[in-house]
Amino acid sequence: MTRYLELYWYFLIQRFKILMEYRLNFFIGATSTAILQAASLTAIWVVMRQIPSLNGWNFYEVILVYGLLTMGESITHMFADNLWTVGWNYVRSGDFDRFLVRPIDPLFHLLADRFCHDGIGNLITGALLVGVSMQQLGIAFSLQHIVYIIISVLSGGVIFIALNLITATSVFWIMESIPVTQMVFTMNEFAKYPLSIYHSSIRILLTWIIPYGFVSFYPASYLLGRDVGALVWLSPLVALVFIFMAYRIWLFGLRHYSSTGS
Amino acid sequence: MIQALRRELSIYKAIAGMAAKTRLAYNMWVWADFVVTIVSMIVFVYFWRAVYANTSTLSGLSLSQTITYILLARLLSPLVETRTIFFFGFMIRQGQIAVELTRPLDMQLRIMTESFAELLVFLVQRLPLFLIAWLFFGMQLPSDPALWGAFFISLVLGQIVLFLFDWMFACLAFYVTETWGLSVVRVAAGSFFSGAIVPLMMMPSWLQKLAAGLPFAQAMAVPVSFLSGISTAADAPHIWLIQITWLLVLLVLSRIVFGIAVRKVTVQGG
Repeated sequence: MTRYLELYWYFLIQRFKILMEYRLNFFIGATSTAILQAASLTAIWVVMRQIPSLNGWNFYEVILVYGLLTMGESITHMFADNLWTVGWNYVRSGDFDRFLVRPIDPLFHLLADRFCHDGIGNLITGALLVGVSMQQLGIAFSLQHIVYIIISVLSGGVIFIALNLITATSVFWIMESIPVTQMVFTMNEFAKYPLSIYHSSIRILLTWIIPYGFVSFYPASYLLGRDVGALVWLSPLVALVFIFMAYRIWLFGLRHYSSTGS
Repeated sequence: MIQALRRELSIYKAIAGMAAKTRLAYNMWVWADFVVTIVSMIVFVYFWRAVYANTSTLSGLSLSQTITYILLARLLSPLVETRTIFFFGFMIRQGQIAVELTRPLDMQLRIMTESFAELLVFLVQRLPLFLIAWLFFGMQLPSDPALWGAFFISLVLGQIVLFLFDWMFACLAFYVTETWGLSVVRVAAGSFFSGAIVPLMMMPSWLQKLAAGLPFAQAMAVPVSFLSGISTAADAPHIWLIQITWLLVLLVLSRIVFGIAVRKVTVQGG
């Protein structure tokens, strides 16, 4: 474990050396995702300034949900972006073979190969949104809340990574995984708003099958003192179950890998 | 002999397998676009229903008008995205720009023709999604052919306006190499100020003024308004006149800007 941490650190330093070669590009990349968020947030503000609440959730409560989702997503964007590019960047070019002959776990190597700075903007945006909405809603910045948020965000990030990993495995059969990943990833759109605005079938889907609800809605419900039962404590467990499943599926897919050569 | 035949067969089997995989992956792309669009339509429909839970009109729009507007905006939203800047970045990096400039064709017109052909294919491909929106999500389209005519003319004019604007924007690729980040900024501004996320009339007046000063709405909110009961057929000549003015101004400006920017060209290799 410590060996892998050391290795990751080493990979990260190398990556930053590359990124710092193009400082302007680094800056534009890191801020551009924040600008994209600004457009969506302004849209929510434009609508919500005219109505008292969205199904009983006021503007800052909606922002809290949105901010938690953005933070969770930023984790996978920074640390697991290669799950998106594994097809055209590694498998198709035959570069994936390189990972298989090294004395470390191929999945670790794939993820560590490219830290993605574009997620930094989202992490900062998400943290600001959570902070501002907590302050506006009078939620205490107590140790208990802060620990809860950190665990929720990390669990949320793991849930995002697990779902991307499960779908990325399709690369071993069809040489490309982005469309399959995209189909599941897009479901996180639901979790940008309180799940209570949707039909109950969507809520069940986002809780038990594609559990993005645990990234935003359930943690936000806890912080707001809304009663959704024991689900507010389940995020870490759901994250562990899904990442375990995802890793097994990945290993199963890896056995079906046949190199493209080239 | 049999060994050799078997080896031969296994090679062709691999080739057949690869072709099937490529085809399958291509189909998956089409399905992915369907799923992404349908999810975004469902999210927007529920969001707006919740918004209208305690009110019957918002900024003069009823729930069904807003739903129709938003569904059309979702279906057409890729029209306010852009690939021009990627294309410029690619041409400059690869040195392809030199070849493009020596061709005996007007480069701007050629690329516009290409992007319009793509646009047409895109719209035809999305027809099933229009059908789904109409059957299941409550999109109510008008039956008056005059409104449809007004919509199509204004859509074409608006797309030309946006193309010319993107042409100018893409000239930034001659100065900055990070085209991905620039395109994200452009898409963010485009989707917001075109009215693809929220109807423009719901925005506070300072944002409405800003949106009116930018070309994006011409390609989305303006044409879609004809189909969602916001603009009438009688408004059409006035609206077209505004769009044609935009078009002429940007046509002149985009050519001047390109002429200046192209002198800065630094080919990175290839």
